[in-house]
Amino acid sequence: MPSDNRYTDRTMTTNPSFMSGVPELLVLRLLQDREMYGYEIVAAVAAATGQVVAPKEGVIYPLLHDLEKEGLLRAQRRPAGGRTRVYYTLTSKGVRRLFDLSDEWTRMTRAIQHVLKGPSHAV
Amino acid sequence: MPFEELRERLLRAGIAPRHVRRYLAELNDHLDDLIQTQRDAGYDAQNAAIRARARLGDDDDLAIAMLARPALYSLPARAPWLVFGLFPLAALIALCAVPIAFLAAAASWHVHSNGSPAAPAWFQDLALSLVFLGNWILTPLIAGLFALLASRQRLPARWPLIAGIVLAAIGFHMQASFPGPHQHGGSLGIGLSFPGGQDGMGWSGWLAVTLLTIAPAMLYRVWRGRSDFSIR
Repeated sequence: MPSDNRYTDRTMTTNPSFMSGVPELLVLRLLQDREMYGYEIVAAVAAATGQVVAPKEGVIYPLLHDLEKEGLLRAQRRPAGGRTRVYYTLTSKGVRRLFDLSDEWTRMTRAIQHVLKGPSHAV
Repeated sequence: MPFEELRERLLRAGIAPRHVRRYLAELNDHLDDLIQTQRDAGYDAQNAAIRARARLGDDDDLAIAMLARPALYSLPARAPWLVFGLFPLAALIALCAVPIAFLAAAASWHVHSNGSPAAPAWFQDLALSLVFLGNWILTPLIAGLFALLASRQRLPARWPLIAGIVLAAIGFHMQASFPGPHQHGGSLGIGLSFPGGQDGMGWSGWLAVTLLTIAPAMLYRVWRGRSDFSIR
């Protein structure tokens, strides 16, 4: 029997509003390492997050188009594996946005961790 | 085509055609990759296709993700009054400016090459040809381009009709004044006049060009009515 454990109940029910901004951060970070096309990006996100962040795969493209429109990514059509793929590359503006988002995310997670540690912060 | 319904839904909602085209091409490629992955995992063709589509997302998932991004909407969908109301006026200004520039260049070339400021005999024919071209061919052609633009975005037929009316009301009244053959000096001009005016083409001309100019919008209206744009 073939196995396919990429999608568990946990990943499928991830709260979408809580995920706001996370896909953008992940995409920018992964594209900092190398250029990729959509399918590769989705696979890289799933692998890098241990399948925790795994939305419906097709919804990655509107995000990529939006980031390209903002000038954070550059899209280039190139042949690969007998097909023409749209490869996405991080621009210098995208790198700056990645740093900003990373800082913001780090501050936020620190603050939340602080709250989760317990009542020591309470008056 | 697996995403035909999605295409219509996105276009009708106002997503720019180029984004829709690329989105669907990327989704097709992605679906092929997913099916291949499923086949490699041991599923038969039918099951592989079903599982691949489930992982890609259904039409609702894919449409909502696109529609949630305002930057991907087209200008004709966001501001149709600008594109179909004001852009025709800009097109008409260009329609007048280009023949004027062309005639001025022709006159300048004639003076330079012959050393005579007298208007040549062919100058009148050239000016009249340009006016005919502008009134009878370019104006309806521009109206056709606006109808084409509306069809690409599946916009209501009233928008290209508005563009056609603007073009018909103003655009076809182009007329030229120029110095007569071998006449020294004189002025060169291309302008607009009202139907029935002294130098205009008259009411019959107005009617003929108006029909030609709004015809593309009417054809689009018929085509749109016949097309099946049923969406969920």
